Amino acid sequence: MTLFILKRLAQIIPVTLGVTLVVFLIMQMIPGDPAIILAGEGASQETVAELRENLGLNKPLAVQYTDYIKNLLQGDMGHSLKNNQPVFEEITARLPITIELAFYSILITIVLGLVAGIISAIRPYSFMDVGLMIVALLGISLPSFWLGILLMYLFSVQLHWLPVAGWDSAKHIILPAVTLGAGGAAIVARMTRSSMLEVVNQDYIRTAKAKGLKGYIIILKHALRNALIPVITVVGLQFGSLLGGTVLVESVFAVNGLGRMIVDAIRTRDIPIVQGGVLVASLIFVFINLFVDILYRIFNKRMDLN
Amino acid sequence: MKQETVLEVKNLQTYFYSSEGVAKAVDGVSFTLQKGETLGIVGESGCGKSMTSLSLLRLVPSPPGKIINGEILLNNTDILKLSDEELRKIRGNKISMIFQEPMTSLNPVLSVGEQIAESIRLHQGLSRKDAWEKAVDMIRLVGIPAPEKRAKQEPYQLSGGMRQRIMIAMALACTPDVLIADEPTTALDVTIQAQIIDIIQNLQKQLGMSIIFITHDLGVVAEICDKIAVMYAGQVVEEGTTDSLFEKPLHPYTNGLIQSLPKLYEDQEELSTIHGTVPSPYNYPIGCRYAERCPFATELCRKKQPELLTIEPGKKVRCWMYSKEWQGATLMEEMTV
Repeated sequence: MTLFILKRLAQIIPVTLGVTLVVFLIMQMIPGDPAIILAGEGASQETVAELRENLGLNKPLAVQYTDYIKNLLQGDMGHSLKNNQPVFEEITARLPITIELAFYSILITIVLGLVAGIISAIRPYSFMDVGLMIVALLGISLPSFWLGILLMYLFSVQLHWLPVAGWDSAKHIILPAVTLGAGGAAIVARMTRSSMLEVVNQDYIRTAKAKGLKGYIIILKHALRNALIPVITVVGLQFGSLLGGTVLVESVFAVNGLGRMIVDAIRTRDIPIVQGGVLVASLIFVFINLFVDILYRIFNKRMDLN
Repeated sequence: MKQETVLEVKNLQTYFYSSEGVAKAVDGVSFTLQKGETLGIVGESGCGKSMTSLSLLRLVPSPPGKIINGEILLNNTDILKLSDEELRKIRGNKISMIFQEPMTSLNPVLSVGEQIAESIRLHQGLSRKDAWEKAVDMIRLVGIPAPEKRAKQEPYQLSGGMRQRIMIAMALACTPDVLIADEPTTALDVTIQAQIIDIIQNLQKQLGMSIIFITHDLGVVAEICDKIAVMYAGQVVEEGTTDSLFEKPLHPYTNGLIQSLPKLYEDQEELSTIHGTVPSPYNYPIGCRYAERCPFATELCRKKQPELLTIEPGKKVRCWMYSKEWQGATLMEEMTV
């Protein structure tokens, strides 16, 4: 297990290099000169040229990239082109918001998904099951930005129960978290249901029944623990799309998180911010995947033999 | 010695409903089991022996299966009339079961000790610690070395033979009145088979329980059973003591089964077989279900189903040859020839 964790941690180095390189190249490829955008419309050619020189944008790409990596190794993520603030500070100011949003979303994904999946699996093809699975199908099909707007219209504009946007109180968290977690909850519900249905037909469930165990013990102790193994994989994958989803949901609900920061930075060609933001997001993703793999091994001890 | 009936099954019928029709997997099975006795239920694959055993604990997968008729009297209480809660208290406590597949019948993610201990806690109300100690004792009882260590392991860390011993330990943990062993040795090596059978027999002597031993292996049956019920196409076709059945089989099917056993000390060119195939449970013939394969079958056999006749106390057979009608029928045939 320790060896496995060390191996996975070592993988972070190539992942980081890859992510920074890809983001760097993409930012170079998209049209629009950061110097022109920064200088503002109508700025003189000289101003733009000077700005470009100051920002180091005239250097060859390879030099720009190696400079960036060198600085990164020293813990310097660069400065925002827009306001000259250190990228690190910009990120640390917004990361907690995104983490909070992601935490509640994944909580909704897991709790709603598992409960709905188990209820469906206990009485397959019942009214409850069919109803839940239709809702789940909707959850998977609706794009989060659209679901977000619908929820906002219903709960904020029409019913006035919840605030439209922002990030000030617990009430503000509900709509963005539900919007972001809904799709995942739907996927987890469907996965849990199919996994549970497969498990309840296994011989060891018959053994559990033959022992005279109570129904809920058979479901929660004997069936669910086995059914969870594929569900954990799905939840792990869900984290990836969750991080992507924060970009959309934070924009819809005007939440000042990491996702929105990256979107804004892309718009203004603020390359250091984009690179820093994507790097942090990908590192989070790598660590979450590692955590999921460890969990997977705990639940499925047979894997540890290899 | 006064005999005490522990389990009595009367006219049990378990049918399966599917798009193809109704499969009469168990069709009117009756037998009795005395205290301390071992009953063997034998028959080829698909004859309904496993479904009979699952029906006893109401474990038939439903849907599509359903017990539509009969009585299963355990110490004079009808299992089929119990509420789910009452049934739960009998399962694993008064009647236990060992399944055919030790590889898949244990939960892969729970330690084997816990799997044994949980039913002890449930049925005997022992504390977590005491139940665990009893589970370790049970593992020791079935002859697994280092039981303390083994109890903490998961099934994948144990061999097939050990897993089946764990199944036995689990089934016997609450000292049941009746143990149903559904082909417990089929999936195991011959040497392990012998060990498992020894363990079951020893524990039977120690704990004084009754056993229903389900198998298609006549060799195993001859070794351990007091009496035997032979099943064919969802019905019991012959019932009798082990000795009488092997020495003087009455039903042509039983005879065929015994004839088809390989004989070690005789020079056999070819193994004897029973010709034909088992009729489909969806579409049994109206007459005797064995008639198509029976060398003695007459018109009477094909037209009308024979009853399970009592030849002498404890000896029953479902065959026209032993009925009054048979004499008449054969006479009639002789006269027409």
